[in-house]
Amino acid sequence: METEVASSEKPHLPNRLGVKGWVWAGRYTLERYLYTLHRLTGLGLLLYVALHLGANGFRLGGEESWTSAIDFLTNPFGRVVEYLVMAAFAFHALNGGRLILQHLGYTLGKPKPPIYPYVDSMRRRRPLTWVMLAVIVALAIYILVEFVT
Amino acid sequence: MKETRLKILQYITGIGLFFFAGTHLIVSHLSSGEPASWESVSDRAASAGWLTLYLLLLTFGLYHGLHGLRTIILEFSFPNYAVRVLDWALVVIGIAIFGYAAYIPISAF
Repeated sequence: METEVASSEKPHLPNRLGVKGWVWAGRYTLERYLYTLHRLTGLGLLLYVALHLGANGFRLGGEESWTSAIDFLTNPFGRVVEYLVMAAFAFHALNGGRLILQHLGYTLGKPKPPIYPYVDSMRRRRPLTWVMLAVIVALAIYILVEFVT
Repeated sequence: MKETRLKILQYITGIGLFFFAGTHLIVSHLSSGEPASWESVSDRAASAGWLTLYLLLLTFGLYHGLHGLRTIILEFSFPNYAVRVLDWALVVIGIAIFGYAAYIPISAF
C-alpha cells in the first residue's frame, strides 16, 4: 500500500533506521561520522542559543538583574560550556563550509577515466577533510589555551 | 518555497553566520577585559553597528537553526499534512523568538 510521506516535492522511502542510522548502518566512512557530528553540534548550538536568548532577557531588568545573572553564570561549569560552544561552533562552521563546497561540486576535481584502481569521489575529497580536521583541532587547542590563560 | 531555495538560503545564512557569530563569539568570549559587564554591554547597546550585527545574527541564526532542525525532523518521514503543520509551527516559533530577542537590543539602543 502506498503511503503519504514527508516531502513537499516527491515521496521517498520511510526512514526505518531513525536516529540509530546516524551512528551505524554498516561500514560508514569518516565523512558520515562528520555528518553525525555536524548534526549533534548543530542541535547543541541551537539549544545554547535558546538558553542564551532567554538569559539576555535579564538585561530588561536593569543593571542589578543583569549583573546577578552574569554572576550566577560565571563559574567553572559555565566556562566549560562556553568552551564547548566555541569548539562546536568552530567544527560546525568549518565542516559546513566543506559541505557547501562539496554540494556545489567545487571539490570534485577534473573528470578522470575509470582506470583500475578506481578512486571514488569521497576519497578524492579526503585531503580536504583532513585539512579541515587539522584546522579544527588547532582552533580547539587555541581556544582552550585562551580560556585557560 | 521550493526545497532547493530553502537549501540555498541555508548555505547563505551559514556563510553569514560564520562572520556574524564569529565576531560575536570573539568579542564576547575571547577578548580581554569584561565583555559581559553592564558597562561593556551598555556601550555595545548604544552602537548602531552592534545593533545591526545583533539583528543580522538573530535573523540568520534563527533561519539556519530552525531550517536545520526541520531537515533533521523531516528525515523521519511524516505525512504531508504533518509537514505543513511543522513548517507553520517553525515559522510561528521563529517570528515569536525574533520578536522577543530583537526587542532586547532595540529597547536598549
